[in-house]
Amino acid sequence: MRSHTIIDRRTCLKGVGASLALPLLENMGWAEAAAGKTYKPPVRLGFMYMPHGVIMDQFWPTDPKTYLSDPPPALKSLKPVLDQCLMMKGISGVPISPFNGAPHALELSTWLTAQLPDAPTRNRINISISADQIAANYMGHLTSLPSLELATMPQTHKENQEGLHEGYYNYCSYRSSTQPVPAITNPRSVLKRLFGNATKPGETAKADPLDQKMLDIVIDGAKDLRRNLPQTDQHKLDEYLDSVRSVERRIAAIEYHQKEAALEKAGMSSRKRFASDSPPIEIKIPEGGLRSEYMKVMCDLNVLAFQTDTTRVSTYIGSLPNGVSYPELGFNDQHHSQTHHKNDPEKVRKVAAITEFNVEQFAHMVKRMKSIKEGDGTLLDNCLMMWGSGLEDGDRHSRENLPFIIAGGGGGSINTGQFLDNAKGNQGDLLTTILGCLEIPLDRKIGIATKTIPGVIRSA
Amino acid sequence: MAARQLGADEPTDTEFIALQNKAKVAFKEGGGVDIFIKAYCADCHGHKKAKSGLNFQRSIKKPGNVIARNHLKQAVTFVESLDMPPDDEDKQPTDEERRQFAEWVDQIKYLSPKDPGPFELRRLTKIEFGNTLHDLFGVDRAIVDDLPDEVVGAGYLNSMSPLQSEQYLGIANAVLDEIWASEGKPVTRFQKEWLGNALAAKSNQRNAANQVALSIAGRAYRRPPAESEIEVLLRVYDVARENKQSHPSALRLMFKAVLISPQFLFITPAAPVTSDETIVPLDNYQLASRLSYFLWSTIPDDELLALAGKGNLNHPETLKKQVKRMLLDKRSRALFDGFGAQWLGIDQLKTKAFDEKKYPLMTDAMRFAMAEEARLFFDSIVRENQSVVNFVTNNYSFLNETLATVYGLEKTLTGPEMRRVKLTDPNRGGILGMPGILATTSFPNRTSPVNRGVWVLEQVLGEHIPPAPANVPTLEKQDKKKVANLTLRERTELHQTSASCANCHRILDPIGFGLENFNAIGQWRELDDSGGAIDASGVLPGGEKFETPRELKAIIATRKEELAKNVTEKLLAYALCRQLIGYDEVVVENLMNTIAKDNYRMQTLISEVVTSYPFTRRRVK
Repeated sequence: MRSHTIIDRRTCLKGVGASLALPLLENMGWAEAAAGKTYKPPVRLGFMYMPHGVIMDQFWPTDPKTYLSDPPPALKSLKPVLDQCLMMKGISGVPISPFNGAPHALELSTWLTAQLPDAPTRNRINISISADQIAANYMGHLTSLPSLELATMPQTHKENQEGLHEGYYNYCSYRSSTQPVPAITNPRSVLKRLFGNATKPGETAKADPLDQKMLDIVIDGAKDLRRNLPQTDQHKLDEYLDSVRSVERRIAAIEYHQKEAALEKAGMSSRKRFASDSPPIEIKIPEGGLRSEYMKVMCDLNVLAFQTDTTRVSTYIGSLPNGVSYPELGFNDQHHSQTHHKNDPEKVRKVAAITEFNVEQFAHMVKRMKSIKEGDGTLLDNCLMMWGSGLEDGDRHSRENLPFIIAGGGGGSINTGQFLDNAKGNQGDLLTTILGCLEIPLDRKIGIATKTIPGVIRSA
Repeated sequence: MAARQLGADEPTDTEFIALQNKAKVAFKEGGGVDIFIKAYCADCHGHKKAKSGLNFQRSIKKPGNVIARNHLKQAVTFVESLDMPPDDEDKQPTDEERRQFAEWVDQIKYLSPKDPGPFELRRLTKIEFGNTLHDLFGVDRAIVDDLPDEVVGAGYLNSMSPLQSEQYLGIANAVLDEIWASEGKPVTRFQKEWLGNALAAKSNQRNAANQVALSIAGRAYRRPPAESEIEVLLRVYDVARENKQSHPSALRLMFKAVLISPQFLFITPAAPVTSDETIVPLDNYQLASRLSYFLWSTIPDDELLALAGKGNLNHPETLKKQVKRMLLDKRSRALFDGFGAQWLGIDQLKTKAFDEKKYPLMTDAMRFAMAEEARLFFDSIVRENQSVVNFVTNNYSFLNETLATVYGLEKTLTGPEMRRVKLTDPNRGGILGMPGILATTSFPNRTSPVNRGVWVLEQVLGEHIPPAPANVPTLEKQDKKKVANLTLRERTELHQTSASCANCHRILDPIGFGLENFNAIGQWRELDDSGGAIDASGVLPGGEKFETPRELKAIIATRKEELAKNVTEKLLAYALCRQLIGYDEVVVENLMNTIAKDNYRMQTLISEVVTSYPFTRRRVK
C-alpha cells in the first residue's frame, strides 16, 4: 500500500467553504492528464448487500478451474461477466459475542465496519467509520457528491436485541463511530440528489451562490449557541455543523460542474471525455410494485451516478435483515422466516431463489456497466463492485465463510476471473484489501483486520 | 396550599441512599442474589459454563450494566414461572426462595445514581418537521417526503447526515417557492401575515428587516431569540444587499436562513444555564416544545408559549391542566401516529405481505380500515380518560363495511365511514381480538401462536422474552407424514417436548393458542387449516385456566399493574426519545403509585409522564 497522508476533507473545508474546494477539484479531478501522459478514468467503488446468507452448496463454486464455464446455480446470471469477477471463500465475519442474541443487527452493522459496537455504550450508536465512508473521505471531494447510499426499505425497523440501539438493525454505513449514514429509498429522490434541479439526468444542477454565503453565516452564528450548551449537546451541534458544511461543499462542487458544462459546450473542456464515451443511460422509474423493477432502477441510478462521475462511492442495501417478501418468486414468505430452513427442501428452494434473485440484480448492474464505454474500455473496467451478505448460512447464523463477489477491474487492480477457494482472512482484511486496490491510505486498521488477502490484487 | 414541587414523588436523597445501600448488599458477594445464583444457576450459567450465553456470575459483578440487568430479569421470569432450574435438577429452590430472589433482583434499579438521563439537543423528527412547516406556513406536510424515514421514540437516531442537511436546504427552497411571491406579483397570505409592511418599506429598510427577523425567529425558534441570533439573521440580510439583491430578496434569504438554522431544526434551550447545579429544570420554552412535540408532534401553540413566557409552565398543576387541554385538541392524534401505532404494531400493516389467494379480503381498503380501527380505539381511550385496562376489556370498536366482513357483521353495517359499534360477541373487543393486531402478528399464510404469545407478553404486559436461538427445529422440519393430520396447536406442542424449546414456549404458547380462533387476518373460525377443531383452552404459568379468547382476555385484564406499567414505560421512552436506563426505573415505579391510585386512567398516566423527573429536567454537566 502506498503511504501518504490522508486528506481529511474537513481540513480542506474548515472555515473556508467553497473558496478552497474549487482549486482542489481542478487539481485532483480526473481531468488533469499532464501533457503526453495517457489519461486514466477514475476508479469507483460500490457495495451491495443482501441479508441472511446463502444456500452454501448452491453458491460456492466446487472447482476453481471450471467455475467460469460452469458456475453454481446462484451465480448463473453473472456468467457472461464472470471473467470480470473475483470470488473468494474463507473470509470470516467478526465474532459476535457478547451480542449472540443479535445476529441480524450485527450482520448489517459489522458488514462494512468489521467491528462490533462498543459494548458498554451499546444503547447508543458507537461503532466505527465504515469502509465506504473511509473511501468517501478520501476521494469524495473529487465529485459533486462524496458518496451515495441506497436502500429499498425504510430504515425504521424497531428491534432492540441485547440492549443494542435500534440503529444497528438499520444502518451499514457510518460516517464516524457515532453517525450512521441514512440511505435514500425513493428513486426520484436519488435523481434529485444526484442532479438537483437539473431537467435531465446528466445535466448539472443549478446552485444559488448566495446560499453558500448564507450557510457560512448560519454556521458562524451557531457557534454562539454552541458556547451555551453542555458538552453532549455541543457534540450534537457539531454533527449539525459538519453536515451543513458538507452542503456548502456540494454547492461549490455544483458550481464547479456548471462552469465545466459551460466550457464543454464551448469546446474548451478541461475534463476530457473520449468520443467513444457512451451518453448517460436513461432511467425509467417503474410505476408498479415489482420488487425486481424497484431493485433494478436503484442499480441503474448507481450506474448513472458512476457513469456521470457524480460520485465514486456507493453502498446499496438490497434489503434489510428484518425481512422482505418476494411475491414475484411465487411465494409470500418473508426472507428471514425461510432462512431458518433446517434443510427442509421447500424452504431451501425458496432461500436459493431469493439469493439468485438478488445476485441477478447485481448482475444487471454489472452488465450495464459493461455496456458503457469509457476511455479505451468500459465503465466496469474502472469499477470495483462488491456484492455480499453478512452471514454465510442464515439457518445457523454462521459466519465462517461470508459470501462475497467482487466484480469489475478496479482500474486494472483486481485479479479477475479467479475463484480463491482458500482465501484466509476476515472481513476487515477484505475491506482493507479493497481499499488498497483503490490506493486509499488508511490511518488505522479497519475493525479486526490484520492483513490484506493475497491473490485479490493483480500483481504488476 | 403550598405548590407541590416538581418530582415530589421522587424519593428524597436520604431515602434514595438508604435504598441504594440495601440493594448493594443484595448484589455483593455473599448477598442474597449471589447466594441464590451460586446455589441454583451457576452450574449452567456461571463462569464454567454459560448456557444460552447467560453467565449470571458475571452479571452480578456489574449489575448496573444494561445487559446484565436484562439477563437477570429474564432469570427472574423463568425462576418465578418454575421453569428454572430445570425439572430434572435435584436442587430446587423453595417458593419463598424464588419470591425472595425476584424481590432482590428488583432492587437492581436502586444501583443507578439519581439522574434524568442523557439529554441531548433533539432534532425534530421527519414527521414533526412536516407538521411544523404545515402549521407555521400552511404548506403541505408532504413537502418533507424526501427526508429519510426514521425510528421515533426509543431508538430515535438523533443524528444528522449531509443527506439530511441537503434536503433541509431543498425543503427550505420549496417552502419559499410556495409562500413567497416573486417581486411584482401580489403578496401571499403568508407574506401579509408575517411581514406586514416590511416588504414594501422604501426607507429604513434595514430597520424593517430587523423587525421581520424578530418576529419570524420568535415563532420559528419557538422561544424569544437572543440578540446575537437576530444579528446573525441581519448579517444574512446585509450580505444579500451587498450582493446587489433587492430588499425583498434579501428578506427572503434571511427567511431561508431561519429555516436551516439549528434553532429551527432542533429543540434548543432558551438561555444559557447560569446555575452551578449539574441537574437543572428545563427552561419553560424548552419544556413547552418538549411537551408539544410529545403530544402533538408539532410546535407549541400560543397558550403554551404564553405560559412559558410568564415562567409558569414548569409546574405540575399547570402541566397537568395543559395535558388535559392538549389531549382533547385534534392535534393529539399525533400521539397515536407516533406512539400508539408503533406500540400496537399497526404501523407494519401497510407493507406486510399476505397470501392473496388465501386471504383475498386483505385489500388496501381493509388494511386502512384496520389501522383506522386501532387509531379510533386508542383515541377514544385517551380522550375519554379510560383506564389502561380498557385496552383489553372494552366491548366496542370502530368499523365500516369493509372491516365488518372480518367481524362477520357485514349484514348489519354498510357504508365506508368508520363508526363506533357495540360488540355483542364477548370474544371480540379490545386489542386482543382486534383484526389489525391479529394480522400483524401472523405469518403471510397462517397464524403464529408464538408471535401472538410474544406480542401479548412484550407489548401488552411488558415482559422480556429472549430471542429464539438459531438452532431450534421449527415446525416445518417435523416429519411431514407424522404431523399431517395434527392441528397447528398439536404440532407446536410437539416442540414443547424438546427441552431447549420448552422453557420459553411453555410461557408463550398458551396465550397464542388462546387466540387461535382468530385466523391470520382476524376472522373467527372453529376449525384450523388442517380441518381439526380449534382448542383454545390453556393454562398460564401462574396456573390460571381459560377455555376461550374471552376468558384469556379476562385473565390478562386482571394484570392491571403490569399492563399499566408497560404502557407507562413505553410512553416515557417515547416522550424522552431514548431507551429507559438506570434511574428511569425508579421514576416509573414512583409514577405507578399515583397512576394506580387513579385506577390507571390514561390521562393521568400521560400527565405523570409529563411531570416526571426525567421529562422536566436535564443534566447540564
